[in-house]
Amino acid sequence: MAALASNRRQFLKFLGTAAVIGSVAPNVWAGAAGKNASLTILHTNDVHSRLDPFPMDGSRNAGKGGVARRATLVQKIRQENPNVLLFDAGDIFQGTPYFNLYKGEPEILAMNRLGYDAGTIGNHDFDGGIDNMVTQFGKAKFPLLIANYDFKNTVLDGRTKPWQVFEKDGIRVGVFGLGIQPEGLIPKDAYREMKYLDPVEIGNDTAAKLRSAEACDYVICLSHLGYKYDNEPKVSDVVLAGKTRNIDLIIGGHTHTFLDAPVVANNLDGQPIWINQVGFAGINLGRIDLMFERGKATLTGQSVEVKS
Amino acid sequence: MKKYLLLVALTGLSACHSGYHLANRTANRIGVDSLTATADTSVANFLQPYRQGLDRTMNEVLTHTTGRIEKGQPNGPLNDLLTDALLQQASQRYGKPVDFSHLNFGGIRNNLPEGNITTGSIFEVMPFDNQLVVLTLTGEMVQQLLNHFAAGNKLVVGGLRTKIHDGKVQSVTFTNGRTLQPNETYTVAMSDYIADGGDNANFLKNAIRRENINYLIRDALIDYFRQQGKSGQPITPVTDGRISIE
Repeated sequence: MAALASNRRQFLKFLGTAAVIGSVAPNVWAGAAGKNASLTILHTNDVHSRLDPFPMDGSRNAGKGGVARRATLVQKIRQENPNVLLFDAGDIFQGTPYFNLYKGEPEILAMNRLGYDAGTIGNHDFDGGIDNMVTQFGKAKFPLLIANYDFKNTVLDGRTKPWQVFEKDGIRVGVFGLGIQPEGLIPKDAYREMKYLDPVEIGNDTAAKLRSAEACDYVICLSHLGYKYDNEPKVSDVVLAGKTRNIDLIIGGHTHTFLDAPVVANNLDGQPIWINQVGFAGINLGRIDLMFERGKATLTGQSVEVKS
Repeated sequence: MKKYLLLVALTGLSACHSGYHLANRTANRIGVDSLTATADTSVANFLQPYRQGLDRTMNEVLTHTTGRIEKGQPNGPLNDLLTDALLQQASQRYGKPVDFSHLNFGGIRNNLPEGNITTGSIFEVMPFDNQLVVLTLTGEMVQQLLNHFAAGNKLVVGGLRTKIHDGKVQSVTFTNGRTLQPNETYTVAMSDYIADGGDNANFLKNAIRRENINYLIRDALIDYFRQQGKSGQPITPVTDGRISIE
């Protein structure tokens, strides 16, 4: 009981901090004209079947993570702001005996309980084979979005979607997924006849469609391409950002990169888009708060970073 | 927890079809631990039967260690332990000595804890259902294999010591006394994932011979550690520095 009480105190202390952050944005925009609407994006990547926190074994990540704690955080944030979208950037599966024993069922059912809005597919999500993906993804109450994997002639055909539009308070958010080159990474008999399509080309086409035909105010790419590769000519989130337009935010995965904060990258039009990735194993929950204004943007400002 | 507030010039970032444009964006990385959140009861209850099922199958204590056994680059106690274990188990299963063993660095998914090593610990280290296969390679192909993985400082091998300069293997000494000759043949125990060209090791598809020994890498490790446990001797985290970078 003592431990529980102490946890509760610390939790309340944390909420106090969150409340302070929450109060910053409205103050900043008090003077702005037009109707404001806010949207909170929450995200995970490479959770790798880590349903329980890491054991207290003296390792670097001991005691961190845990899907039941993440549920508490997500619930709390949803209570504060009704406009929340929760995403995962792939590699839901593989890494703890949960996956070996249950093939991904508790991972997917837990994500249902947390109210995930969408996810994309990582290379390790193929680890149980493509038939297992049909079985487990079939239990998901959220769509698996992937625009550059063509599953025609496989059992997964028609079970994934390239993109989806979410509408929150009139804000139209277009979300699509991109997966990594499977060759040399995923055993062929796991992905079979699936065709991998160029993520830059597909990313550009999909984002343009979401921006124009679907009239989206904000376009998010859930990517399992990996953040950045130094000595390899592989498509990464950094490469994708620089070679495309119409993407506002890339939520990345695969490289298990712990970014302290989103990285700003200029897109093909020179606009500063965000790339974020929050490590792995559910150690962190990424949170991005967006404030929208009605009408065309007229403001020019400068970057100010407040770090604590 | 890290907090950031970023006010930016976002003109043009979002079009005006439905009349909204992005005016401000802030980000926040929330650490998930006992300080930031208590466990949600309903999710915890949902997990309970799955965890009980795991505990029944994963809690066999195989052996124990005197300290954490971690992987490292270029050398690590875990690298040595796992490749030596696989070399021994593969030779037993193959029915004759195998010259060396290889593991892909990225395939070692966790470290081993101090104290009890359970079946679950081995599943954490090696969650993949990869088979151990024995390839027969020419000396030239062995050199190619070692160079391929040395280039990324990800060479994890058992049964040999090697010196590396600029990502290239300079010399090889086999534990069994053989020397590396371009035209002689050698056997290596490794993951079917790599033998099939994983980690871009496509050249391995040209192996002289490939033999399946019907042995999951994980099962080989579990057998090895169970055997170790019977000896009563705990495992100590040491590396013999088999990879030296010059």
